[in-house]
Amino acid sequence: MALYSNAPASYADHTSAPIEHRFNPYSDNGGSILAIAGKDFSVIAGDTRQSEGYNIQTRYARKVWQLTDKAVLATNGFAADGNNFVKRVKQRLEWYEHAHHKPMGLKSIARMIQTMLYAKRFFPYYVYNILGGIEEDGSGAVYSFDPVGSYEREACRAAGAAQSLIQPFLDNQIYFKNQTPETGSEPFIPGNLPLSTVLSLVVDSFTSATERHIEVGDGMEIYVVMNKGRTTDDLLDKKKLGPGMEVEELGALGEGGGERTFLVRAALKRD
Amino acid sequence: MELNGGSVVAMIGKDCVAIASDLRLGNQQVGIASNFDKVFPVNDKLYYGLPGLATDVYTLREHLRFRVNMYRMKEEREITPKTFTHLLSSTLYEKRFGPFFIEPVVAGLTTPTPLDPNPKPYISTMDTIGCITTPKDFAVAGTAADKLYGVAEGLWEPDLEPEDLFETISQTLLNAVDRDALSGWGAVVHIITHDKVITRTLRARMD
Amino acid sequence: MFMTRSEYDRGVNTFSPEGRLFQVEYAMEAIKLGSTTVGITTPHGVVLAVEKRVPSPLLESSSIEKIMEIDSHLGCAMSGLTADARTMVEHARVTSQMHNFTYDERIGVESCTQAVCDLALRFGESVEDDDALMSRPFGVALLIAGIDEKGPQLYHTDPSGTFVRYDAKAIGSGSDAAQQSLQDAFHKQMTLLEAHSLALKVLKQVMEEKLDENNVQLAQVTNEKGFEILGEKELKEVIETLAA
Repeated sequence: MALYSNAPASYADHTSAPIEHRFNPYSDNGGSILAIAGKDFSVIAGDTRQSEGYNIQTRYARKVWQLTDKAVLATNGFAADGNNFVKRVKQRLEWYEHAHHKPMGLKSIARMIQTMLYAKRFFPYYVYNILGGIEEDGSGAVYSFDPVGSYEREACRAAGAAQSLIQPFLDNQIYFKNQTPETGSEPFIPGNLPLSTVLSLVVDSFTSATERHIEVGDGMEIYVVMNKGRTTDDLLDKKKLGPGMEVEELGALGEGGGERTFLVRAALKRD
Repeated sequence: MELNGGSVVAMIGKDCVAIASDLRLGNQQVGIASNFDKVFPVNDKLYYGLPGLATDVYTLREHLRFRVNMYRMKEEREITPKTFTHLLSSTLYEKRFGPFFIEPVVAGLTTPTPLDPNPKPYISTMDTIGCITTPKDFAVAGTAADKLYGVAEGLWEPDLEPEDLFETISQTLLNAVDRDALSGWGAVVHIITHDKVITRTLRARMD
Repeated sequence: MFMTRSEYDRGVNTFSPEGRLFQVEYAMEAIKLGSTTVGITTPHGVVLAVEKRVPSPLLESSSIEKIMEIDSHLGCAMSGLTADARTMVEHARVTSQMHNFTYDERIGVESCTQAVCDLALRFGESVEDDDALMSRPFGVALLIAGIDEKGPQLYHTDPSGTFVRYDAKAIGSGSDAAQQSLQDAFHKQMTLLEAHSLALKVLKQVMEEKLDENNVQLAQVTNEKGFEILGEKELKEVIETLAA
């Protein structure tokens, strides 16, 4: 319904003057996404609420997608565009595998997403994308995009409705902004935090955003991509996860290069 | 709000409160001054911050100084944070249809009295026409309000001692204003305890 | 012998009753007239060598270009109608640049070869149209050399659009003898220098003129330096080792 908006027209002359209807091809479906890169893992998360204005359309809509054994994509903005974009990306990944006999690497996916977004420079996908996963060299990586394809590799990124709430918190906790190590102690290196710390930062970010932003809440999906050979104790150990959190391993999509992807679900407040 | 920029945050600790602000004064995107205080004392137990339109900051501050001095003389006692909040609120509501473009934040400690022997640390905030909220944790206002909410929500915890509260409010303010183009250019923090007020100017990003 | 084929050798899209496309087969014949071209794969890189026919002493031999760069990690040598090869190399270059632009990585050797062969098959496509690309098959065969994550590789393409991977391959007029020599001398653990001299030795055997730095061209693709055509000085050094 809200996709159609009336142009201003007074009631008095609505019989004589034509009523102009203009189709607005975009809408904003709220929600937030977030990704953090570790040394040999990457965490990509999003909430599951989908809303339009003050109306909650569903309490469970996916925003985070497993693309390959080492790549996960999070989309945020206009859900229809997001879903369609992911569909097209997956199609391109399949074509690539047929043509080149190998799965597409993370940085190649990142570049391809840029070209796909920029191809629609003048009728963009109204979507902010964050791509996370494992790079060719085994390191955890996060790539963030704007709707028309400008992109950058980073240690962390938040996007969506609660970006302004989460990003400065991440600046402080991931990039150690405005913090100085005590004299004599190790210097801070961003992108080197242990998985357990990263997970609790993700959970804190979303519970904080849920507390203060009406478009964020209901549930949370956290994808964890681990490099091959890495220990999974820090994730699978029951004691490591907070109450009400569940973890599930997602099977290999391709031939399986040894990378492992896990999906952690957690509840968020529904009010 | 977006004409001059600026942000204020206040937090409650254990038997203490803190209030902090940036020091920027701008003309839209252009920085004008980096020594523009937005937090002022009422007495040594009560401070308030006035982020918003700079001209209204001065007008409102002078107006409040007058009203607080009159209160002090008539009542022969210091104004309490709660009373000051209501004074401020009614002052703002007087201009209901031509408001001051300011979202004040108040932080203070109430001196114990026989009627109220164990007063709690007090912070409050209100909108431009004086609608009060009195949070139990923290209050934020200004152009970096949403960022302040996010960081404060992540860093704040109950019953912080003065030094820990100082660290928390400083980190909250600095990291929030660093993501706001209209706030920053220095920061000042006041920690109010029963025996003293600690005021510190922070080393901040100046871009 | 051509008399018997006269019915079916006109249209490029017409099969003969025996299931043959004569125009394609004629194109294959054109390659057998071309100068001899050799490619050798080693664990360290791929070597390409071509004979340059210099019919006149007045001809500037450096203007004959039979080895071309496709990308920094891909090169190709040709035999047959070299003018046709330029169209194919241009296509290969555009394809590999597009791949690099779209995927932020170097194109695979096989993928590049596949792209060239896709083009090779497009003769006769909309022959009637004004924008028809080619009305006949390419009269050239290529040796495409390159390195990717699968290691050094050498591919051979022919006018039918077929491509096959080789450890060592010779094409052109002297290809039969040259291929036999390669088969006798090739081994998997060759060094680059050994491959250089084997390539030239094979050319020397099948060339009518005396081999010198003016009538051959030598190139290589290595992990370290990618594609490079060897300079006159390096070429002379290899030729000297042959004589010894």
